[in-house]
Amino acid sequence: MKQIVEKRPILANTHLPLILLGAVMVVYGLLTAVMNTWLANRAMSGLITAPVYRSRLTGFEQTAGLVTGIILLVMFLLTAIRSSGRVRTAFAIGAVAALSPILAGRVEGLLFNVIGIPTMGAGSVIAGAVVTLLFFLPMSILFIILATGRSMPRGVRWISLVGFLVVLVTSFYPIYVTVLAFLFKPGDPAVGRMIQTSTQVIRLRFLLPGLVFLLLAWISTRFSQQQTEQKAAPQSVEQGE
Amino acid sequence: MKYIVKTCLILIVFAGLLASCGQPAPEVSETTSTTMDGFDTLNLTVPDKYDPPITMESVMAVDATVKFLGDNDIYNNVWTRAYSQLLGIDMDYQWVADGSMFNEKLGLSINSGQIPDMFRVTPAQMQLYYEAGLLADLTDVYEQEASENTRDVLNQNPTALKAATIDGKLIGIPLTDAPVATASLLWVRQDWMDQLGIAAPTSIADVMEISRRFTEEDPNGNGVDDTIGLCITQNLWGAVASLQGFFNGYHAYPTIWYEKEGSLVYGSVQPEMREALLALQKMYAEGQIDQEFGVKDINQVTETIAQGQCGMQFGVWWNPYHPLNLSQQNDPTAFWTAFPIPSVDDQVAKSQYTSNVGALLVVRNGYEHPEALIRMVNFWTDNILDSEDDEIRRIFLGDIEAPDVVLYKYTNVQLWEPDATLIGGKKLREALASKDPSGLDLDAQWRYRIIQAYFEQGILEAWVEVATNGPNGAVSILEQIAVDRGMMNQFYGVPTPAMAEKMPTLQTMEDVMITKVIMGDSIELFDQFVEDWYQLGGSEIVEEVNTWAEKNQ
Repeated sequence: MKQIVEKRPILANTHLPLILLGAVMVVYGLLTAVMNTWLANRAMSGLITAPVYRSRLTGFEQTAGLVTGIILLVMFLLTAIRSSGRVRTAFAIGAVAALSPILAGRVEGLLFNVIGIPTMGAGSVIAGAVVTLLFFLPMSILFIILATGRSMPRGVRWISLVGFLVVLVTSFYPIYVTVLAFLFKPGDPAVGRMIQTSTQVIRLRFLLPGLVFLLLAWISTRFSQQQTEQKAAPQSVEQGE
Repeated sequence: MKYIVKTCLILIVFAGLLASCGQPAPEVSETTSTTMDGFDTLNLTVPDKYDPPITMESVMAVDATVKFLGDNDIYNNVWTRAYSQLLGIDMDYQWVADGSMFNEKLGLSINSGQIPDMFRVTPAQMQLYYEAGLLADLTDVYEQEASENTRDVLNQNPTALKAATIDGKLIGIPLTDAPVATASLLWVRQDWMDQLGIAAPTSIADVMEISRRFTEEDPNGNGVDDTIGLCITQNLWGAVASLQGFFNGYHAYPTIWYEKEGSLVYGSVQPEMREALLALQKMYAEGQIDQEFGVKDINQVTETIAQGQCGMQFGVWWNPYHPLNLSQQNDPTAFWTAFPIPSVDDQVAKSQYTSNVGALLVVRNGYEHPEALIRMVNFWTDNILDSEDDEIRRIFLGDIEAPDVVLYKYTNVQLWEPDATLIGGKKLREALASKDPSGLDLDAQWRYRIIQAYFEQGILEAWVEVATNGPNGAVSILEQIAVDRGMMNQFYGVPTPAMAEKMPTLQTMEDVMITKVIMGDSIELFDQFVEDWYQLGGSEIVEEVNTWAEKNQ
């Protein structure tokens, strides 16, 4: 017998923490994309040298990453505290993703100098994969929990599924292309074109999940409003009678 | 929930189908049949075909690294079939030897009277066999048969044809490469410089200071006193960790001939060497040079570089491809930057380089078809050298799906454009600046993407391409060297008689003297060497070289 589960919004009172969470991710995504593009253009034009490019980018990643990571952590935890049940679990797990921007620009030193793991001639790829996994795993668990939550509004579940796919593609496509380009098919023109696409995909890594959070907040808020209106409607009728 | 699960399943199945359908790995052709080579489908420029076909006896150097597909071998491969079917030339290889044994076997073969119709020689061998009357004069057949592309390639290096000419006759076809590519650059661990707050070196004094700090200030941060300022090998000269770049900073040009006060002089015996030697001696005494460099070959120095213990070295433009790339084994942030050779004073230092004709193709005197060699060269320069046709490149050079099978190694006729590195580098940098790779050939497009991956995706392993072909990379410095920062070896002929007889001994004397002085022997050893050098045959060589120069101006 089919059990009827009452649908509930993601957050009970206000969706502000979720909106802020999404907004911070969007701003960070935009900021890193703009900064990276600007510096890369200057370096590729020969206006700054490659080492200057690296040092400026690393400096930016370390500062912006630390600030963003802390804000994200607070927002994830606030969202978790303000929610209940599996949503709380989802956002508590998602909070681990806040480590990803914090480690950007620092992870090479941590992995290869502090921990001392071998680089195997692919240090930056390994470091990039670690940062990516730190973002992908908690975020994908978060979206899967929301997508499979029977108490979630249908729109929230669909958008969460989209969120999972977005995180999956933006995380693993660049890694896949890098491995192809440097290990399996060096020199292949088709892979060369994939590098171009991959560059664009990387820039969406924070931007798109941030937009997904904003969309979830919007759908959940609307659902909450509709629910309030539906509850209020019978009372109005009764009062009218 | 059911919808979600169903959708997930559909997506997974669909993704699996896409993965299995997309980009099937093309099978590498292993056939030897004529039609399957597909020559008839290619847009090739083919010289007149011999009808009936002629036979050309030849010999080949084939290293153990050369691989063949299917039942192909050196006697039956895409090149032998192309020469036969397109040019009417049937190659008949009398013997095949490993590259290290080739010259010895060629000498034995010729001494026993078995002279191939067409074969590959060194400049010294060409002189020897010409004097023995064994080689054909190619002057007329070159004039009659050489295509525009062939002439263009051979004229890009102004010394190439001169190096192949004896007594005014063209005796060989030089297998060209870029002379300027042999010029030394200063390679420095940029990440160490950044870490220690050191500015780019602009003078030899800067080089000395960087060397000192790299040695004393533990730039690799492992807490062990294991770093060396300047790496050099026991061989002293060469493409990696060599000394000529350091000497060039003092306006000294060891091992080459250059014009001084109206005549050609040998660089190693000039007074400018003295100050440079003293500087190296000081660096060695202060531990900035490996205390055991006198017994360390290139492999051991490569190991030092890989272990992150070497901070600077003088080497050629392609060093990042090997061995500098190995620095990233232990440190993913390792980055070497190339600098023009800094000067000891306010005069610009010039990097020395040599005419790069290391081998030539020659034809046996009396062979009925000497023009066949020119036609084979034309086939290469007209169809292969600059081809942007993927199919031609796949069939004659190699397939991307089998990168270890390098097809052009099956033929003796391989000429590379001397200016290709410089022209290609310039085009690539222009494409990077405009972010438009559309005008680049396939190879350059790939380099563009790799540099893009470094700058836009943070793939640090791509630094190798950035440091060589990227903006401000080594190739851009080569351009300056080609214009006004270079000193070319002005003797590019075949060895003179005294040179052939006495230079090996004099060269050994020179290397021993330099090693000893660096390791602490008195600088008077240099003065003694100069005296001995002239007495033991140097004077005679100088005279012969200047006589050659008068004839070849």
